[in-house]
Amino acid sequence: MDIFLNVLGVVFLWLAVEYCLRHQTSESLDDASMVPFADDPEVARRVELATGKTVKAVAPEEAKPGWINLEM
Amino acid sequence: MSTATIGQAYNYKVVRQFVIATVFWGVVGMAMGVWIASQLVWPDMNLDLPWTTFGRLRPLHTSLVIFGFAGSAQFAASYYAVQRTCQVRLYSDKLAAFTFWGWQSVIVIMLITLPMGYTTTKEYAEIEFSGAGWMAVVWVAYAIVFFTTVVQRKTKHIYVGNWFFGAFILVIAMLHVVNHLSIPVDWFKSYPVYSGATDAMVQWWYGHNAVGFFLTTGFLGMMYYFVPKQVNRPVYSYRLSIVHFWALITLYIWAGPHHLHYTALPDWAQSLGMAMSLILLAPSWGGMINGMMTLSGAWHKLRTDPILRFLVLSLAFYGMSTFEGPMMAIKTVNALSHYTDWTIGHVHAGALGWVAMITFGATYHMVPKVFGREQMYSTPLINLHFWLATIGTVLYIASMWVNGITQGLMWRAINEDGTLTYSFVEALQASHPGFIVRFAGGVFFLSGMLLMAYNVWRTVRVADVALARSQAQIA
Repeated sequence: MDIFLNVLGVVFLWLAVEYCLRHQTSESLDDASMVPFADDPEVARRVELATGKTVKAVAPEEAKPGWINLEM
Repeated sequence: MSTATIGQAYNYKVVRQFVIATVFWGVVGMAMGVWIASQLVWPDMNLDLPWTTFGRLRPLHTSLVIFGFAGSAQFAASYYAVQRTCQVRLYSDKLAAFTFWGWQSVIVIMLITLPMGYTTTKEYAEIEFSGAGWMAVVWVAYAIVFFTTVVQRKTKHIYVGNWFFGAFILVIAMLHVVNHLSIPVDWFKSYPVYSGATDAMVQWWYGHNAVGFFLTTGFLGMMYYFVPKQVNRPVYSYRLSIVHFWALITLYIWAGPHHLHYTALPDWAQSLGMAMSLILLAPSWGGMINGMMTLSGAWHKLRTDPILRFLVLSLAFYGMSTFEGPMMAIKTVNALSHYTDWTIGHVHAGALGWVAMITFGATYHMVPKVFGREQMYSTPLINLHFWLATIGTVLYIASMWVNGITQGLMWRAINEDGTLTYSFVEALQASHPGFIVRFAGGVFFLSGMLLMAYNVWRTVRVADVALARSQAQIA
C-alpha cells in the first residue's frame, strides 16, 4: 500500500513539474524571475545593471482620482 | 529596460492594517508565551485563577502567534505581493476590508473564549465550532480576493510566490474544514465526528499541515518575493522554484502520522509518515538553497542591511529545523524525543527562527513603502532587534535540546530489576535550569518585538501621504 502511494506521489510530482514547464524556455523563466522588479523602475534599473538581464518594466502613471485610499 | 504604461493604484490600506495587526498580535502573543514560560519557572505565576493557568493560556499563546501574528503577516504579505507581481489592484476593497475585520474578530474570539476554557482540545484548532465556522467564512473571502486578483492580472506569468500563497490558502481551507467537522451541542461546545485513532489521525494530519502550510508554504511565498526584492537580484533558479513548489505540496500532506509514533495508529501509517518526512528534506533544502543562493554576488549587502540579515537568517533556521524535523520523525529517534521539551525546541526553531524572522524582514521592507517613508525610523534599532531575536532563539532552542534529551534519557532509564530509575518529578527538577534559560530567551525575543513595535510606531507616526500615494501607483 505505502509503496503504491509513494510511486503515485513521484508520478504526480513528475507530471506536475513537466506540465508547468511544458512551454517554458530559459528566456521565459528568466523573464518570470524578473516579475518582482517589473513594477518598480528604479529597482529594475539596478537589477539590470547588476545582472545584465532585461526587466520588462512598466512606467509610473499619474494618479487616477478616486483610486487611491490613504486614510492613515 | 522596456516600458509600458498601465493604470490604477494598489490597495495599500488593507496591507497597512494587516501590518499593524501583525505587530500588535506579535507583542501580545509573544508576551503570553513569556508569561507561560515564567509559570514553568515560578508556578505561582499562574495567579491561582482558572483563566490564567498554563492549560488555558498555552493554547491562547499558540493561537495568537499562529493566527494573530503569522496569519496577519501572511495576509499583509500576500496582498502586497500579489498586487505588485500581478500589477493590478486587489479585487474588491470591501471584501478585502471584510477579511481584515473578520480575521481580527476571529482572534478576539480566541482571546476571550480560550481563557474561559472553551476548547475543542485539538492542538492549533482549539477554537470551538461557532468560531471555527466564522473563521471558514473569512477564509473563503480571502480566497476570493486573492484568486480573483490573480485572474485579473496584467502580467502574463503568475509569479511563483503567488503559487505558494495560493496553495497555502487552498490547503488550509481543506484542513480547517475537515478537522473541524463536528456535532455541536451548543454555541461553544461540540464533539468531533471522528473517534479514537481516526480522530487522532485527522487531528495530526491537520496539525502537521498547519505547520506545513500555514507556517511554511505561505512564508515560502513571502521568501520568493521579499528576498529577491531586498537583495535586488532575481531568485537563483526559477526552474528549481517550480520543482520546489510541486515537491513540497506533494510530500507535506503525508507526513502527519509521525506525530503519532508508537500509538494506536496502524504501524503502516506510522511508517508512511516517517518515510514521507524523510523525503521531505529534499524539497525543503532545495527551497532553502534557492533562497540563499539568490544572494550570489551580493553577500556583501549583509554587512550593511539588517533587513536582509533577518531574511537570510530565517532561511538558515528554516534549513536547520527542516533537517531536525525529519530526523525526529525517525521512529527510533522519536522514541527518545517524543513528549519531551526537544519537540518544543524544534517547533520554536521554526516558529522563532523561520516564521518570525522572515516576518520581521518582510515587515521592515513593507512598512516604509506602504506608509510613504524612505526607510524605517531607525536602522540601528532594526540591527538591535536582529541580535536580540537571534540570541533569544538560540537560548530557547539550546535549552530545550538539553532538557529534551535529559528528560528522554531519564524517563527510559531502568534499574536491573526493571523498575524506573527516576520518578517523573526528578526529571522535572532536572529540567528547571532549562526552563529558566528558555524564559530568558523568550524575554530577549519579546524585547526585540517591542523594539520593532516602537520603530514601526515612530515610522507610521510621520507617514508621508504624498510619497505613499506615489508608491501606491501601479508602475
